[in-house]
This record gives sequence, structure tokens and C-alpha cells, in this order.
Amino acid sequence: MIWLIVGALVVLAALGAPLFAIIAAVALFGFHAAGEPGAAVAIEFYRLADMPALIAIPLFTLAGYLLAESQAPRRLVRLTNALFGWLPGGLAIVSVCACTLFTAFTGATGVTLIALGAVLYPALRQAHYDERFSLGLLTCAGSLGLLLVPSMPLILYGVVAQQFHTTPPVSIDALFKAGLLPCLLMVVMLSVYSAWKARDLPRPPPSSAREVWAALKDAAWELPLPFVILIGIYTGKLAASEAAAATALYVLIVTVLVRREIKFGELPRVIREAMLLVGAILIVLGFSLALTNWLIDGDVPEKLFSALQAGISGKFAFLLLLNVFLLVFGMLLEGFPAIIILVPLILPVATHYGIDPVHLGIIFLANLQIGIFLPPVGMNIFIASARFNQPATRIVRASLPFYAILLAAVLIITYWPGLSLWLAR
Amino acid sequence: MTLQRSLDNLRRIEDWLLAILVLLLVVLAGGQIVLRDFFHTGISWADPLMRQLVLWTGMLGALAAVRDEKHIALDVLQRFLSPLAQKIARMLTFGFAAAICAALAWYCYVMLSVDYASATPSSAFASLPAWIPETILPAGFGLMALRFALRAFAPPAHTPPLMHSVERPS
Repeated sequence: MIWLIVGALVVLAALGAPLFAIIAAVALFGFHAAGEPGAAVAIEFYRLADMPALIAIPLFTLAGYLLAESQAPRRLVRLTNALFGWLPGGLAIVSVCACTLFTAFTGATGVTLIALGAVLYPALRQAHYDERFSLGLLTCAGSLGLLLVPSMPLILYGVVAQQFHTTPPVSIDALFKAGLLPCLLMVVMLSVYSAWKARDLPRPPPSSAREVWAALKDAAWELPLPFVILIGIYTGKLAASEAAAATALYVLIVTVLVRREIKFGELPRVIREAMLLVGAILIVLGFSLALTNWLIDGDVPEKLFSALQAGISGKFAFLLLLNVFLLVFGMLLEGFPAIIILVPLILPVATHYGIDPVHLGIIFLANLQIGIFLPPVGMNIFIASARFNQPATRIVRASLPFYAILLAAVLIITYWPGLSLWLAR
Repeated sequence: MTLQRSLDNLRRIEDWLLAILVLLLVVLAGGQIVLRDFFHTGISWADPLMRQLVLWTGMLGALAAVRDEKHIALDVLQRFLSPLAQKIARMLTFGFAAAICAALAWYCYVMLSVDYASATPSSAFASLPAWIPETILPAGFGLMALRFALRAFAPPAHTPPLMHSVERPS
């Protein structure tokens, strides 16, 4: 009987049933089997209203969507171009930096690809970057930034990981600090590759002081945002939820009242777009919380650990296996749900192998970042394919060198815990 | 069609309710910081209210996600099915989601009625009974069940992306 249910759920999931319904069904059956009433699942789900850390998620997401909808992406590109455009590979580096900052805010890599791709792709082509490089770079750059404050996946990892009361604890602030250097590593590696690729391209002259000043003035309202958030969080002056609150209110006032780039009548639509994403994630999270307790009660992570330990003795072998596993799941599940579903299983096992839970979070996201645009079914391949009007196979071929670079970065991040933990601990 | 009109009205109410609640959340959260940093004070009920707002806006967002078919799902296999098989898959998966949502709506109602009968005060506000903020759960899941059931027989809100990209000549 139980295998019949499991089989039916697997088939339904493969056919495209909403993930939350699958997880809720597992939770309902599981609680039933453990002799708990169905209302216990409702009570577990209701814990969503009892987690202060979650407040940051709708706030940051709304801020990101408002910025994406305004002219901020264009101003961001203008400013970074005025500052770095003259470097070898300047425009490519501009693209990487702009995409990273943008994804950090929206947490949605596909939105970055769509919003910034429209500006950057024609600009890259106009500056004589070849088509293949431009396509690969933008497809890959879209997923950067998941490790940078105030990324929503990092907050989600923190919320799920906190359920386990690990020592040392996983605070969201610590995760934000831990993500900075690994994110920087990826940006630098991509920038170096871009500069090397573009070594023969004609370089535009450095922007005049007047253009730099004009671009600065143009972006004056948005400019304080990354600095306030970064400095606020990295110095410990602002907690994640406070930074989110300040950002959301500020962005709302600037885009709607000061700049008026989003009309008041358009607000419900933009808010709805943002909350669609938040709702789709929170509902999965809610039932996973129920499932997590059930898994812990059933000692599932312990059993998984002893089963694994028979075959995998060392930390390094475990980490390697983890990398492969996360790449595949990141590809299948578009990042967010992978965190929500896999962390409860993997975190307890990983701590047994002596991996710091904060470091694990960074490993998780670094892998998912690649998984998002990994063939055959990584979501961003298809978003890029639609955005740039190119067949998916061409996007994949264009992305090949970028997989190699990011994989190298992921291996460094995985096997050098100090890179992540230096700022966090 | 009057059914269509009442559905349209329901949508509009839903969109505006969502917008108002999210704006309330932003203003409350931002206001708390201004109050704390500049006036060294704060609203004691703001934090619990904000946590409830996260649940309410999340549920309304999830309900909207059913309408746009934006719920997180594996759509790998779907792309390779024939049109007829896709239709059947939609009925199966959305029918399943509708059934699960209906069950969840019922269990959430059970939870609510227990709190109602025992007049449990909410953790958020001492004077407010716990069942009032909980109403979003049975209402939200109930409406989601209804909407999933309707979508099971409707044409897809968007086509899976692979079909576009692979079959387009380069």
C-alpha cells in the first residue's frame, strides 16, 4: 500500500503536479501513519506565522521587483559602464557586476536575465563581443548574486537550518557575511576570463569626468541602497529583517513617489508578480516544516548518515558526492525548492561529517547557482533562449566555458571552508 | 456569463487585498525602524501583526500563483508529451492538487474550530481570538482547491518553454 502511494506521488510529481501538493500529501500520509490527526499538519503549517526571519522575504522581493520594473537597471548599467567600461573586457565585467547586484536583490535569477539581458545583450554585441561569448556570459551572469546579501535563497537556507538548532548556530547575518567572499571569487574569475577573451577588442576611451558625474547623479536615488545594506549588515548595525524593511520602504517611496516610474495604478500588478513568487515558495516551505519534524521524529537523517557512512568515510568524499547531488537537484528544482526540501535531509548528515552549517549553506547555493543553467533542463537555459531568441542548444554550447569557470569556483568554495567562514565566524 | 463576472470580481478583490496587505506590511516594517531609531519607541503589536501579514500575503500569493500556473513544479516530462497526454496530465495533476487543497482546507478548518470553541487568545494580540487570523488558511486552501479544479479543464496559462526554443530554426 505504502509503495502504491509513493509510486503514485512520484508519477504525479513527474507529470508536473505542484510541489507543495506532493509535500503536503506526504506530510498528511506520514502524520496519519504516525497516528497524528490531519489538523496537526495545519498546525505545523501555521508556524509560518511565527517566524520573524520570514518577514524579510516579501520585503526584499518586493523591493527587487519594483527596481526591476523601474529604470534602475538602465541607470545601473550606465553608471558601472562609466566607471569600468574602459577596462579590457570592461563591458563584460559591467554585465557581471550589474547582474550580480540585481539578482542579490530580486533573488530571482530569471528576472535578472530578462530585465538586464534586454539592455546588456545589444550593448555587448555593439561593442564587438562575439555572439557566443555574449550569450554564455549573460546566461551565466544571471544566476550570480545568490550568495550576496540580501539574497532570498540565503534567508531561506537560514530559516530552514535554524530548525535544527545546530552548534554553531546558523544566523542569517552570518550567512550574509559568509557569502561575500565566495561571490566575489566568482565575479573575479568571470571578470578575468572576460578581460582575456576581450583582449583584442577595441577599447572605448575612459569616460569623461562629466559622464561619470552625470551617471552618478542619474543614479543618486538608488546609489545609497547597496552601501546601506552591505555596510549595515556587515557591521552588524542592521539585522536582515530591518535591512529588508528599510529597503522596501525606501524603494517604494523612490520608485512610486519620487521618480514616479511606476504609476500608482500599476502597483497592484507589480506587487502581485512579486508575491506570486513569495507565495509559491512560502507554501512549499510551510509543508516542508511539517515534513521536517516528521523526518526528525523518524530519525531519518540518522539512518541516512549511517547508511552513507558505510560507503563514504571521509568529509571530502562526502562533499564531492554532495556537489554532484546538488548540481542535479539544482537543475531539476530551480534552486528555491531544492533548498527547502534538501536542507532538512542533508544538514544533519553534513554536521556529522564535521561541516560547518554556514559553510554548507554557501556550498548549497554555489552549486544551485550552476544547476539553474545546467543542461538539459536548467530553467535559465530556456529563459535565455526565449529572451535572446536563440535555440536552447545554442545557449548550452555558448555556456560551456562558463560552466567550467563556475565549477572551478564551486570546488574552491567547497574545499576551502575558510573562504566562507573567515568573515562569518 | 454571470459566473465569469463573479470570478472577475473575485480576482479584482484578491489583487487589491493583496496589494493593500503588502503595502501595510512595508509601512509597518519601515515605520518600526523609523520609530525605533529616531524616537526610541515602537508599536508593541506591530511585530506579531507583521508575522501574520507574511502568512496572509503568502497565502494570497499562492492563490494568485494557481491562477497563473506559477506554482513550483517539475515540468520536465510535460514538455515531451503529446497534446492529448498533456491534457490528461493536467487533469490528473491539477485534480490531485485540488483534492489535497480541499483536504488541507478541511484540516485547517478543524484547527480553527478547536481554537474557536476553546476561545484561545491569539499569540499576536491579547484581545483578539486566535481563530480570526487563522481564517486565511481554510479560506485560502478552499479557494485554491476550487481554482485548481477549474484549471484542470482549462487550456494552459502558458506553454512549457522547450517547445518554443527547440523547434525554432536558428
